[in-house]
Amino acid sequence: MGWFAIQPAKHQESTSSPTPSQRKNAVVAAHVSGRALGALRRGWLRLGMLGLLLLLAIGCSTDLQSTWDPAGPVASKQLDLFNVLLWVMVAVFVLVEGALLYAIIRYRRRPGQELPAQTHGNLPLEITWTIIPTVLVLALGIWTVFTIFDLDEPPASADNVLDVTVTAHQWWWEFEYPDAGGGKRITTANEMRVPVDVPVRLTLLSDDVIHSFWIPKLAGKLDVVPTRANQMWFQADANEIDEFPATFFGQCAEFCGIAHALMKFRVVVLEQDEYNAWVQNYGPPPEESQRAQDGRLLFQVNCALCHTISPRDAETGKSVLNYDDGPAQASRMEGFMAGTGVTAAPAPNLTDLRNRRSLGAGLLDLNEENLRRWLHNPDDIKPGTSMAARGLIYQSGDISLSDDEMDSIIAYLLNLQ
Amino acid sequence: MAAITDVLARPTGYSGIWSWLTTVDHKRIGVLYGVSAFAFLLIGGIEAGVMRLQLAEADSNLVDPATFNQMFTMHGTTMIFMAIMPLSAAFFNLIVPLAIGARDVAFPRLNAFSYWVFLFGALLMHSSFLINQAPDAGWFSYANLTEKPFSGNNGMDFWALGLQVLGISSLAAGFNFVVTIINLRAPGMSLMRMPVFIWMTLITSILLILAFPVITVGLIELTMDRNFGTHFFIPESGGDPILWQHLFWVFGHPEVYILILPAMGIVSEVLPPFSRKPLFGYPFIIFSGIVIGMMGWAVWSHHMFTVGLGTIATSVFAITTMLIAVPTGVKIFNWLGTLWGGSITFSTSMLFAIGFVALFIVGGLSGVSHAVVPSDRQQQDTYYIVAHLHYVLFGGSLMGLFAGVYYWFPKFTGKLLSEKLGKWHFWLFFIGMNITFFPMHFVGLNGMPRRIYTYSSEFGWESLNQLSSVGYFIILVGVIVFMVAFVRAMRNGRPSGHDPWDAPGLEWSISSPPPEYNFAELPQVEGRDQYWITKRRAAAEGNPITRPEPHVDPRTIHMPSPSYWPLIVAFGTVWLAGGLLTHYSLSFAGGIIAMIGVVGWGNEPAAAHQPDDAAPDSHG
Repeated sequence: MGWFAIQPAKHQESTSSPTPSQRKNAVVAAHVSGRALGALRRGWLRLGMLGLLLLLAIGCSTDLQSTWDPAGPVASKQLDLFNVLLWVMVAVFVLVEGALLYAIIRYRRRPGQELPAQTHGNLPLEITWTIIPTVLVLALGIWTVFTIFDLDEPPASADNVLDVTVTAHQWWWEFEYPDAGGGKRITTANEMRVPVDVPVRLTLLSDDVIHSFWIPKLAGKLDVVPTRANQMWFQADANEIDEFPATFFGQCAEFCGIAHALMKFRVVVLEQDEYNAWVQNYGPPPEESQRAQDGRLLFQVNCALCHTISPRDAETGKSVLNYDDGPAQASRMEGFMAGTGVTAAPAPNLTDLRNRRSLGAGLLDLNEENLRRWLHNPDDIKPGTSMAARGLIYQSGDISLSDDEMDSIIAYLLNLQ
Repeated sequence: MAAITDVLARPTGYSGIWSWLTTVDHKRIGVLYGVSAFAFLLIGGIEAGVMRLQLAEADSNLVDPATFNQMFTMHGTTMIFMAIMPLSAAFFNLIVPLAIGARDVAFPRLNAFSYWVFLFGALLMHSSFLINQAPDAGWFSYANLTEKPFSGNNGMDFWALGLQVLGISSLAAGFNFVVTIINLRAPGMSLMRMPVFIWMTLITSILLILAFPVITVGLIELTMDRNFGTHFFIPESGGDPILWQHLFWVFGHPEVYILILPAMGIVSEVLPPFSRKPLFGYPFIIFSGIVIGMMGWAVWSHHMFTVGLGTIATSVFAITTMLIAVPTGVKIFNWLGTLWGGSITFSTSMLFAIGFVALFIVGGLSGVSHAVVPSDRQQQDTYYIVAHLHYVLFGGSLMGLFAGVYYWFPKFTGKLLSEKLGKWHFWLFFIGMNITFFPMHFVGLNGMPRRIYTYSSEFGWESLNQLSSVGYFIILVGVIVFMVAFVRAMRNGRPSGHDPWDAPGLEWSISSPPPEYNFAELPQVEGRDQYWITKRRAAAEGNPITRPEPHVDPRTIHMPSPSYWPLIVAFGTVWLAGGLLTHYSLSFAGGIIAMIGVVGWGNEPAAAHQPDDAAPDSHG
């Protein structure tokens, strides 16, 4: 771990001008491996080390989807295993390629050389180089198996596990919290909000084809398969997070059709209080401007065939959540299996859109301008999206709404004044 | 029926286009395989180039996603089924009869049939480009994305039927080479005296015979789902898309060894003559090949570690996958043992063989890392896998096959490829390959999934992708250098003599190019590396061998005659498959053509009576 925690900047320093001690090490290594190889070998060694360092410097990044930068126990344990493995691989690589390099330099043909000794094999040697790798891979194998079982379920010691049902659609993600807190049921899309330090158990369902759910910094991927309800879990650790809310990037990892590359999502990690507040406030805004009310009418006529926004209860002012009376999870799968069709929403639920940070399955940051771009031509931003193909306002070739009407819808979606 | 089939007079020509269309000579069929496979290698390479250009910059709009998906689907399918496999088949054809001291394969007409079915099947699949309906669901084509609701055009039908046809070719070739190797070895060549390449051909052929029926079942089910209303893989109707994955990978993993074992065999042939030392640990190389061939059936689910098969199944496949690294390692150690203490000449062929070993080590090591399931959960379906598989298939298979090209080219042309251009070719390949694929390990670990046609610059993948794209062009220059070297050598290459490398194999004892009948007299085999035994004994007796075995009058040797029927049956078979894409009545017509061909074939004796005055030209 420590090795990879070094900042890229430091790597660049050390690669561009090796310190005297590094130089010495390179020289010593070359010396130990045999004088016969001489300057050629020394040059190769330094070049190789430089290359390795350079690539590691790029590899050790904290980029948005880097697996080198885990932020929770699942991804950490997966990386720990890989790091050990990496050094085993580097050691075997250096030994075997070194032996190869030595052999082809040492045993190159010299003028007038006689036929070399015609050896056919060496049984003790064969047994040795069969047993050593066997022991090595079995040791790795045992560790692997223990980790497989270890990471299968959230730790039993956790006193609070958040359940989220993930439904993959071509090409976006639906997140449903059967109990987000206080018994409240929440449906959202492309952006999963979770509290920090709480294990999150995901049930993965597919609405159409096979997808794969992957948040590199939080957990390795698991496929989302129709007919199955795979389960995985992850947790974001507070001590890996500098600033809340923290955003983690994820995307579909199994080829799923034309917009596979754009089937992204984000996981937003909140402190428990903020998370509770989000759950509390989930629903339509308590106040709507006149413009937003105009937008609501336009939305209901033009968009609500596919998109849901939970309406407000006229008396209490509280939201009426669309899934409260919906079918239970089990029957959704049963309906799926029985061929009676999927009851999932065909397009993202937009109740919470104004609180989200991203748009178009995690493609754009959410703001007024990007939302306008998206509404004007979704296919331009996400080629293949069914919004452009099926949305009512796009059917006539031109968008059937005026700019002013579009602005009203935006005002409604983002609850602008 | 016999009357219809008698209409065609038996072909007799030994030159011109018809002689190639009707040939049953294993050497000519090998050349046809090689040339066709190289053409498809170029097509697959162009498809790779489109992808590398698109990915060279973030948010690129060079091609649309539909085209990109066609490119990676056809790149994988083409390289595996229409480039690497038939290149291996070219070597099986060219080398096997010569190296076991036989005059041809066991079933020469079936051999011709294999080739024509391969060619027509490959053309059938590629014809999808003409109507812009190329397959676009990946070379693995996971159900249920391949079903009608999600893949509405004919692309998947082209893919399924094309592969089905290619499978017929592979099966026929597999049976042919098993029978040839078991039955047609020269007197004295016991199994444990066979050259390693022959052993690997045998194992590969057995794998072909056992693996292709599995994908055949899968492809039939897919075709039925799409065209005849079944629902093997349709979840809404109770089908299971995971069934496809099992069928595909039970075939697909042995297929990996089908791709690599021939190259391993070639490398085992090339290392000894250029080290002037017999292969180290021959029985261990053979048995590790057999073990790989058998264990290859017990590791398929490592392609499915993220499917959610449960902890027990996953653990079992993790362990078996790790263990298969052992026999692979044993082979590498034995190749090192062959070099060790040798007297090494760096011919181009030897460079490619050493390059194979050096690069295969990298691919083998990253392969072990996939077996570590928890970390594989991060790497599966990322560029890390792309890096791994290209170290095995490019660094492994393709480098090994090119070692074979440079090694055996003189045998079939009597000319030498330019060593100077060859070395340029090698270094361009070796360096270009590493620049292209080594960075992919890192871009994969940095979170870039496979099969995405675009990415945004904020993910930090752009610079390494650019590097990979630069590497592509270095490889491309290497390919061009090879083509120049090939054409120049064909036109005016230096004469090679019959045994330019002081090689140990029987094929080097006869003239270059070999006569049509290969061996005037079947050789007697006393041990491994028979030609070394013969040459060294002769040298010790004071009259070293400087000339190949003399030619004899070909009329005195009973050889199979050319035939139209394999071509006709192959045409009918592929027409039958193609008809399913257009109109079923065309299928019916194709079936009739194939049936007529089978009857004609059955009624035709293997060798026509040769009148004395129509003596064929000697083979050129």
